[in-house]
Amino acid sequence: MTTFMASLRTTLAGYINYRGREGHYSFLLHRLTGLGTLLFLTIHIVDTATVYWMPELYDHAIALYRLPIFMIGEMGLVFSVIFHGVNGLRIIYQDMVKPSSWSIHTQRRAARVTLVVSILIWLPAAYIMARSLLAHL
Amino acid sequence: MDVTLRVFRYNTEAGRTKPSFDSWTLTDVDPTDRVLDLLEFVKGYHDGTLSFRRSCAHGVCGSDAMRINGRNYLACKVLVRDLNSTTITVEPIMGLKVVKDLIVDMEPFFESYRSVLPYMINDDVPADGKERHQSIEQRERFDDTTKCILCAACTSSCPSFWGDGKYVGPATIVNAHRFIFDSRDQAPGERLQILNEQEGVWRCRTAFNCTEACPREIHITQAIAEVKHAITSGNVD
Ligand code: FES
Repeated sequence: MTTFMASLRTTLAGYINYRGREGHYSFLLHRLTGLGTLLFLTIHIVDTATVYWMPELYDHAIALYRLPIFMIGEMGLVFSVIFHGVNGLRIIYQDMVKPSSWSIHTQRRAARVTLVVSILIWLPAAYIMARSLLAHL
Repeated sequence: MDVTLRVFRYNTEAGRTKPSFDSWTLTDVDPTDRVLDLLEFVKGYHDGTLSFRRSCAHGVCGSDAMRINGRNYLACKVLVRDLNSTTITVEPIMGLKVVKDLIVDMEPFFESYRSVLPYMINDDVPADGKERHQSIEQRERFDDTTKCILCAACTSSCPSFWGDGKYVGPATIVNAHRFIFDSRDQAPGERLQILNEQEGVWRCRTAFNCTEACPREIHITQAIAEVKHAITSGNVD
């Protein structure tokens, strides 16, 4: 247990304090968006299950999602799914198809391009979601 | 120029049982001074108890990997001007136990290194009885990974290693790569099997800190990817 705590402390300290370059931050964002997606899927499975088990609760859950805070959270979740997917494709390509692209120059550029592409894909969805959020306020 | 040097201290012999930082303001620092020069100066003129490893002072022995302003470097290779800062913070590398000040226990690192049989394995007598010939291309194949000096800058910058000290780490994979792709070696399969274990290459999440940190500019993440390929394809050409 103590070794677990010690490595957890080192891990978090490293995540936050280590001054890495593009790769470090892209790794962190990949972790974070991965956890975000996992959280979303878990909640989603649980709330959909309530349709069967307790229909009254389902309506309540759907009403909850109409709260602004949830709608903003949903925009973040859409970004999570998109970034995690696009970055995953980048890693698969670099690692499995073209290992020679793991040079400092190419990797830094690839990590930046991945972020830009993810944001570009996310923007239209974010626009639609933001519009319905504003309509709800 | 003036530089504030902040150094991590932990020294049970001197009664410093709680990790803390000491700082010194150094005047007359030349931008082309190395961080190692500053540490030597402090040790020589301010505090003789300051402990750190260094041997060659020329980037060859791999003794003085440290975290300088948050990033792994060899103290003997990084110049003050490269850091773009008048405050320089020096800390031990991460993921290995601190023994004293900037000195960490390197044993787990070397234990992992030894685990992949980092030596030539070939019991056959050479064809001409004297030498094992290799073409230029065959020698070129693993040239990059021969450059490793085992300083641990890569392994201790790896998020997977911070989370799991049993992970063999980038340096070990680099040194396995050096023999796996050597046409004269006869045990690539054994090494690939070791690296296919739970704590082997698949712990690599391609965070790329290792390649950025390597003072010898080895394409570490690429070497790891090549080992992953060799494992899945069984091909070591
Ligand atoms: S002192 Fe030998 S590598 Fe820096």
